[in-house]
Amino acid sequence: MLIIASLIIFPVVVALLLMVIRNEAARSALVIGAVVILGALSVVLTVQYLLTPQSFVVPEYLLEPIHYCALAIGLACTLYVLVRAIRAKKILVILLAVGVGVLIVVYEMAFAHYAVVKADLYVDQLSIIMALIIAFIGGGICLYAIYYMRDHQKHLDHEGHELPEENDPALLKAARMLLQDRRHIFFAILFVFLGAMFAIVFSNRLSWLLVGWEVITLCSFVLIGYTRTKEATNNAFRAVAINMSGSLALAAALIMVAMGTAPIFELDLFIATAANSATGGVLALPVMLIAFACMTKAAQMPFQSWLLGAMVAPTPVSALLHSATMVKAGVFILIKLSPALGWNLPGLFVLIIGGLSFLGCTALSISQSNSKRVLAYSTVANLGLIAMCAGIGTPEAAWAGIFLLIFHAAAKALLFCCIGTAEHHLGSRDIEKLDNIFVRMPWIATFLAVGMMAMFIAPFGMLVSKWAALVSIAESGHMEMLFILAFGSALTFVVWAKWLGKALAVGNTSDPETGKAGKGEFFTLAVLAALLVIITLAIPLVSSVFVVPWLKETGVVLGLLPWIQASDVLGSDNLIIMSIIFLALLGLLLAQLLKKRPEQNDTIYLAGVGSDKDERGYSNSFGEVVDAGHRNWYMDKIFGENAMGRQATIMIGAVMVIFLVLGVVLELISL
Amino acid sequence: MTPLSFVIALVAFTVFGAVFGCLIAGVDRIITARMQGRVGPPLLQPYYDVRKLLAKENRSLNGFMGYYLVLSLIFAILSGAIFFAGGNLLLVVFLIGLSTLLFIVAAYSSRSPYAEIGAGREIIQVLAYEPMILLMPVFFFFATGSFNVSAIFSLQYPLIVILPLVFAGLLFIITIKLRKSPFDLSYSHHAHQELVKGISTEMTGRNLAIVEITHWYENVLFLGYVGIFFVWVHPVALVIAVVVALAVYFLEIVIDNTFARVKWQSMLGWSWAVTLVCTVSNLVLLTVIIRFFAGGL
Repeated sequence: MLIIASLIIFPVVVALLLMVIRNEAARSALVIGAVVILGALSVVLTVQYLLTPQSFVVPEYLLEPIHYCALAIGLACTLYVLVRAIRAKKILVILLAVGVGVLIVVYEMAFAHYAVVKADLYVDQLSIIMALIIAFIGGGICLYAIYYMRDHQKHLDHEGHELPEENDPALLKAARMLLQDRRHIFFAILFVFLGAMFAIVFSNRLSWLLVGWEVITLCSFVLIGYTRTKEATNNAFRAVAINMSGSLALAAALIMVAMGTAPIFELDLFIATAANSATGGVLALPVMLIAFACMTKAAQMPFQSWLLGAMVAPTPVSALLHSATMVKAGVFILIKLSPALGWNLPGLFVLIIGGLSFLGCTALSISQSNSKRVLAYSTVANLGLIAMCAGIGTPEAAWAGIFLLIFHAAAKALLFCCIGTAEHHLGSRDIEKLDNIFVRMPWIATFLAVGMMAMFIAPFGMLVSKWAALVSIAESGHMEMLFILAFGSALTFVVWAKWLGKALAVGNTSDPETGKAGKGEFFTLAVLAALLVIITLAIPLVSSVFVVPWLKETGVVLGLLPWIQASDVLGSDNLIIMSIIFLALLGLLLAQLLKKRPEQNDTIYLAGVGSDKDERGYSNSFGEVVDAGHRNWYMDKIFGENAMGRQATIMIGAVMVIFLVLGVVLELISL
Repeated sequence: MTPLSFVIALVAFTVFGAVFGCLIAGVDRIITARMQGRVGPPLLQPYYDVRKLLAKENRSLNGFMGYYLVLSLIFAILSGAIFFAGGNLLLVVFLIGLSTLLFIVAAYSSRSPYAEIGAGREIIQVLAYEPMILLMPVFFFFATGSFNVSAIFSLQYPLIVILPLVFAGLLFIITIKLRKSPFDLSYSHHAHQELVKGISTEMTGRNLAIVEITHWYENVLFLGYVGIFFVWVHPVALVIAVVVALAVYFLEIVIDNTFARVKWQSMLGWSWAVTLVCTVSNLVLLTVIIRFFAGGL
């Protein structure tokens, strides 16, 4: 109990301290200390839980103040967004913020305030997995942010010295504002974000879940708009508009279940009721609304634009949003709901939107040469895959979904951080311009390659999970999803293989290692890479200690026979084979990398005399130098945003609307 | 697949895979030559070629290319060994995918524009054949109730009876996998339609020898994919499977010599269309069979 409370409260306290401390050295020390403590707390929680499973009731004398506190926090978040929206004259956001604010007050005061619940907080194997992800991967990104933001601010200060002589004082003031050192706010929000994520993961009381949901919406709003440029502000408002429409749906769902004949105020009770109503009919609409909220958070198509827009923020923000927080909150709740999904309306809703998002965004990512956009599209695609697994509603699919979640978090954190470092040192985030990275930053390129391979190829984690997804789809009889997965996987191969090739190309730059990352930065990247490797090796262990027991216990609690009989989807022998192959591959790669690089004794064929050892060009018969570079395949005419992006978004949006209308109609009929 | 059977299969496939692969390549060259009105080289010419390549001075662009190629070879052998040991079909598919990826990365590592074009085309080839290759094990599962290749030995009838269209789809895309015209976009044996030397432009000497040997193993494995459709509990089944696989290879040689290379758009479009049509209609067929012959067939 104490540990859960401290996991939620401690980051917030750290955030408050960070707001006050402006000294950089002190801030770094505090961040490092806080991350270490969070990691330690989550490990202690894990050990404690494994020894004696437990759930918790908050002592009664604390309930009243906590309720008011939660209400105040929820309202404050909405109010802040409202004020910002009024100032920026964003009508849609104003309306949404007012709507969400009203619903929160109505829900808290009219229903939830006096609700008596069996457990306020709970811990199970799944929330432990999430807590470890938040503490270790989220914490790792916070460490990385120390070094990244130092460079970021240096860059801004540099610009500050070169501000053009501007006669207009208003313009000068605006320019100065953009360059201000606001890192204390940045780090404070990072920690609030982590705290709110813990709150979402551990809350069983739905009203607290809603508040956590609002807090992470606010955090993402502030972080996306951090640089205060026009683009950043616009994108921040787009993100908050989409996320608040999700909050609106969530609040509406909570009010609906609270108004029923048997009011429900707890997440586990909600899932149990939904899972056990024979057709999923009783709670179909609330489940769909909550799933809708999860999909806005997880940026499923047609809402992918907010996540793509979010990359205007400094890279650690992208890393955090994509890996340990925010989007993961959405799919985490979807996986929890998964026993209630399956062959029913909400199940098909989640399954189809998720599947189409997977296919659509994988195809779209082929056409991108901006590495961060590739990563963003691939995040939406993979979350779609997780949603799809949750929608199938079988324990095998849930197994696959959980592992997809774990590996996506670990791999994406590493990928974003590597790209951030590469961009700072080599000056570009374009895949084509980074094609010499293996010579200039060999270790960063290696981490990048490990992260990429983790996303799509055997024997790395994502592929193992995808394998399980394929098996569970084959066993559940969702044929349409089978085709989506087969074609989507082929597209995934294209996205990563062509980038991996560019990243591992060995060019002839005469000044190797020009871009040297700082020690701290390098260390955090190495830690993230090591984490990824360790979890991949530990798949059989994670499966048998956390995932399978979670599936079984969920089955026991809900009385679902297939869940009680859950086991490793792939069979432990296949998992062990994969681990052995992974270890061998890793050892071989490492051995090669540490070996002294052999002398090059040949040059590439260029159909002419090579003009320069460093650049790929040759002298033609007129003595002119011709560039012989080669760009990757992007196939804009097939997979480009203009070729298929909008159509796909509209189509999937239409499917979503049809499902929601169907849900409402069925609800009305049942009344 | 027990550890013992796997080790036996690994040793056997490492030896016989190479021998068969080499012999098939030799026969391929003789038949191709006859079709073109030439006498052709001796049967063991592919072996002589590789031996010569191995003896050449090792000129390298970087230390990594050869390394990736060795890994690619290792995973091709591993994949084939798991297949012939009766292991998990999806595992086989994923490992051979890793082998292909390493081959692609090896080409990219040269940073040569011609090799990169070839590597890019190889990726498009993967895009074209991968859906079918992934769907095949799933249909195998629908038909046998298991993903393990060994399940075919207890079948009462060969898979071709209920999966004829999946087999047809596989035949179509196996042309890509065997690197035969019209789908030999990344790496062709017909010099007149090749862009320098495609994906293997920068591979010489020992590296090129490894590429050839990997290709031998791959070919044997892919003919194995063909063969599993014709095996059932009957003792002569294996003979039939081998005969059919060889017949398919002959068919591929005929196709190779009668078609010119197509553009990538045609390859991709046709492969996906054939994959979709074949698998969806076979799904319908399976449903019908299950409905009418439940337990009977």
